[in-house]
Amino acid sequence: MKVPLALIRASLMVALQYRGDFAFELLTGVVRTFGRVMPLVLVYGHTTSISGWTADEAMLVMGFFLVMTAFHEGLMEPNLGEVVEAVRQGTLDLWLLKPADAQLFVSIRRVDPAYLWDVFAAFAVLGLATWRVGVPGPLDVIVAFLLLGCGLSAMYGLWLLAICTSFWFIRVDNLRFLLLSIADAGRWPVSVFSGWARVLFVAVVPVALVTTFPAEAMRGAWGWELVAVAFTVAAAFLVVSRLAWTRALASYTSASS
Amino acid sequence: MIKVDALTKVYRVPQKEPGFWGSVKSLYAREYKDVRAVDGVTFQVEAGERVGFLGPNGAGKTTTLKMLTGLLHPTSGTCTVGGWKPQERNPDFLRAITLVMGQKQQLMWDLPCSESFLLNRALYDLDKKPFEETLAELTELLDLKPFLDTPVRNLSLGQRMRAELAAALLHRPKVLFLDEPTIGMDVEVQAVLRKFVLDYNARTGATILLTSHDMADVGAIAKRILLIDQGVVRFDGSLEELAKRFGAGRRMVVRGPATVLTPMGFTSGDEGKMVATVAAERVNGLLSEVLQALPNCEVSIADPPLEDVLRTAFGDLRPKAPAEAAP
Repeated sequence: MKVPLALIRASLMVALQYRGDFAFELLTGVVRTFGRVMPLVLVYGHTTSISGWTADEAMLVMGFFLVMTAFHEGLMEPNLGEVVEAVRQGTLDLWLLKPADAQLFVSIRRVDPAYLWDVFAAFAVLGLATWRVGVPGPLDVIVAFLLLGCGLSAMYGLWLLAICTSFWFIRVDNLRFLLLSIADAGRWPVSVFSGWARVLFVAVVPVALVTTFPAEAMRGAWGWELVAVAFTVAAAFLVVSRLAWTRALASYTSASS
Repeated sequence: MIKVDALTKVYRVPQKEPGFWGSVKSLYAREYKDVRAVDGVTFQVEAGERVGFLGPNGAGKTTTLKMLTGLLHPTSGTCTVGGWKPQERNPDFLRAITLVMGQKQQLMWDLPCSESFLLNRALYDLDKKPFEETLAELTELLDLKPFLDTPVRNLSLGQRMRAELAAALLHRPKVLFLDEPTIGMDVEVQAVLRKFVLDYNARTGATILLTSHDMADVGAIAKRILLIDQGVVRFDGSLEELAKRFGAGRRMVVRGPATVLTPMGFTSGDEGKMVATVAAERVNGLLSEVLQALPNCEVSIADPPLEDVLRTAFGDLRPKAPAEAAP
């Protein structure tokens, strides 16, 4: 735990060095959250239900979607995104010299505290939606967060896989943009999509695991098969990405000194 | 301490024809060329040795260093450092070594260097007391105190490099890999760094492997020289042996009239001095000749500059028709 804490401490200090920028980032965060929630509000202004989901239930999905974007933009992108640049310029050398697990180190090297707002906003939306849908039982809540954990792990695995390709292709920014735009579909309940797209959102870009699955649990509509699918997908992504990372390190070529 | 056996690294480098259409072509039919950066290098270094790793640009020095520190995986051959295989990146191995790269920095740009030191303390899992002792020692030796709390972005290059060195040594490594450590430093800071590295070696018995283009670095720090060129070790021995084998001879410098000295084989050098390069066994003969002709002249005899020795060495050692890398 010492290493993550020391890293978090350092990132916080860097952020606080630039107070002005920090304030602007917080402001952008507020705008960002509204930008994400508004389309949902507008759509439900014209209808009461979309493929079985009421406005409040869809807002649950939105709450989990906001958790995912906060996790992605505040933790994954600043860290894993930087690996691509570190591979291109060879600065990964210095990280690999540290006696810490390299995967752990590149994954949590930096946290962006401005995204604490996003986390706060996500839980506010979740809380409000839960209260309007009807307070779930304790087991429902536990399962929901278990599923959320699975979903975030799977998305992390997918991101790490995308990053690993940079060891061979050096520049892979566009692959990340592609995945990101697919993941954007996670703001809607997965049942609004047709068959093949559902498979895509569960097993390929497993965004449904993060948003729809936990929302199902919160409205009490989950079964153990849902949990089994989530666990399997998450485990598969974590194992495969770990293997890819190990192989990627072996073929790291550094850069000219 | 360090064992390297037939170590080889082959890079696959994409080739591109020049020009825009070359770039388009490389999109669908990219050709690769195998470059043997390190080609069957074998050597051993005992604990406590100070070894200079020399060679022209692209000789394979840095690639070897990166394999020895676990950054690159060898294509074939083996290397061990302190009994560990570097590429396995065992935490105990990483705690026992350090790599200082003159051109890359680990200090956090926006924070004072003291914060980077604290981060390293956590990463290397150092106990408070030994950490503070080492830090106090490094602070004094490298004169860090005046800028410990200044953000790194506001430091001068010399200050930053001193702080970099401290960050690289906080965990008291037993093996130091120094890759062009003095690049870009002014003469004064270079001298501080060299003295510091020597002291560190004397105090801790650490093994030191150094690459540098600065011959003064090598002359000051290394006792043993490994010459590497085109990925192959071409010479392994002490500095003296190197000078003996490749030095064209000793340099005799005399202040005196050219008319007298030119027939003896002197040519004019700087500041009206006359210079001759003499084979070691002819030094005494020439000296008495000079003193007979000019009884009160000022004479000095010195080893040839290391640069000259190396230039000769690379010229002599390189095969006349260099073998092209296999495709």
